[in-house]
Amino acid sequence: MDIIHPQAGCSGGAEAVLGLQSNSSISIAYHPLFGPHDDLMLLELDEKLLPEILHQRVTLRGQPDEDAVLCTSSKTYAVKFVGTSNSVFLIPPSDKVSELCDKKNDDSMVVASVIKVAPGCMELVEVAPKLDKLKLLLSQNPYSFSEASEMDFSEERNKTKIGLYRWYDLVERLQASDEELKLGLQSLSAVEIDGYWRILDDKYMNGILNMLLHNVILNDWSINALNEDDVLGTLETDGFPRNIAKHCLQVYCSKVDEGDGVSCKWKLEERRVCGHLAREILKEGKMKMEIFMEKWTRKFPDGMHASFDILEGEVLTEKLGVETWVYSFSLSSLPSTPAERFAILFRERPKWEWKDLQPYVRDLRVPGLSSEGLLLKYTRRTQPTMGAEPVFSAR
Amino acid sequence: MQIQVKCSCGEGNCPEWAIVELQGVVEAQPSFVDRIQNLQIGVLCRPSSQENYTFTVGYHELTGSKVTLKKPILVLKKIKLQDKEEESEGDVSSTRVELDVIGVIRHKILFKTRPKALISSKDTSDHICKDLNHLSKKKLLHQVPLCHSNWIKLF
Repeated sequence: MDIIHPQAGCSGGAEAVLGLQSNSSISIAYHPLFGPHDDLMLLELDEKLLPEILHQRVTLRGQPDEDAVLCTSSKTYAVKFVGTSNSVFLIPPSDKVSELCDKKNDDSMVVASVIKVAPGCMELVEVAPKLDKLKLLLSQNPYSFSEASEMDFSEERNKTKIGLYRWYDLVERLQASDEELKLGLQSLSAVEIDGYWRILDDKYMNGILNMLLHNVILNDWSINALNEDDVLGTLETDGFPRNIAKHCLQVYCSKVDEGDGVSCKWKLEERRVCGHLAREILKEGKMKMEIFMEKWTRKFPDGMHASFDILEGEVLTEKLGVETWVYSFSLSSLPSTPAERFAILFRERPKWEWKDLQPYVRDLRVPGLSSEGLLLKYTRRTQPTMGAEPVFSAR
Repeated sequence: MQIQVKCSCGEGNCPEWAIVELQGVVEAQPSFVDRIQNLQIGVLCRPSSQENYTFTVGYHELTGSKVTLKKPILVLKKIKLQDKEEESEGDVSSTRVELDVIGVIRHKILFKTRPKALISSKDTSDHICKDLNHLSKKKLLHQVPLCHSNWIKLF
């Protein structure tokens, strides 16, 4: 009759395995609680990520139907399960039971117990954060003039919180680290209003910028040395809340470092202002170059001189007959994942010269892939003749 | 959804676990399959002062060595917690999942040689064989390790 041979030895655990002395042996046995233990998992991790884990800065993020990602405070990693057909016996450290060893017969062999046979291990692969969804979410309920003018703060309005997201709501829904999410919000020029992250709708953005430019002319301000208090003061008088006015400064201007410490000075950023003005003009559709240039430059505040080149990444030109036409094609409207980005670019134009293509691809980031590698992967490069400009088309 | 990863052991105090890894599958005899808890798998020996090891399972002897992992492996335990909601807001679920780091693995004893059959050998192997007779006979199937991988859904 077969008997289950109970382990008479004392429990040595992982220490017994790792500290096995020369000319010794131990018994490896199934733990009394051996089982599938699906709640136990193995995760392979770079040593340098350990401090992040120990300081509680690591979370897994995603929806139940999405592939999980692991986020540190600043990076995002896809989690991959790598299976093995090897038998990986997992041996925990000995528990308090081992203290009984001293009382047992010294002749009995030390036992290290296997709690589980691991089917494999999870590994991390650094990935770009998935932030296209952020724009989608925030576009559900952009902040507008009608909302701004609503003086009714009744409970009823507060209850309909469709399309309104606090920071925590965004973290729950997006697969990105905190830092990457912050940068994403910045790139959308999002602003926190009443605790909710909002993007300002086009009319509102246009309205506030035009008011700012109007005030610049009215008060004869220098566009390179705008006084923060003056700007915020006049915008408030015009009906814009101070935090939104401040946001407008941050979007269209950059701070000028002046050590007087009284009030900050800002200067208009040509690229951002002119880009916005161009988008507004081309909203209705394409335009002849001459007409566009006339309308566009007419809107410039005093002291602003910008050439058409500043609009790279914002507009494209096409030749119809002898005339050149301009139309809006903004980088900010394109997806951030390379495959989708290139698909849209080649749908817009089957062939691109590098000087036109570059502004629309230089922001693409794929960990582990250089910009040359990206081009190689997603485009076909041809050179019609020696010395001619290379042309890129879809693979 | 978020799953917090935490380490309740405190900094630098994560207990070290061990892995003994071999190619193939160890199977218990059919009569033992449902009650293998406490059953001995084999004997791990370190014959000399080198980091070489033998693992004897049934009548097979494997040779291997202690390997330091290039990257540490964390042992995570999935914990389900019941949240007490102070104010219910729509359909917020009340169970939260956390991953607790309960151990770290930095070394393993890896066996990747063909098992040596001990049946027909002389002297000590007979002795070992005899000692192991009362154990369920283990069958070692020799396979080439496969690595298949897929993205996981952890929720």
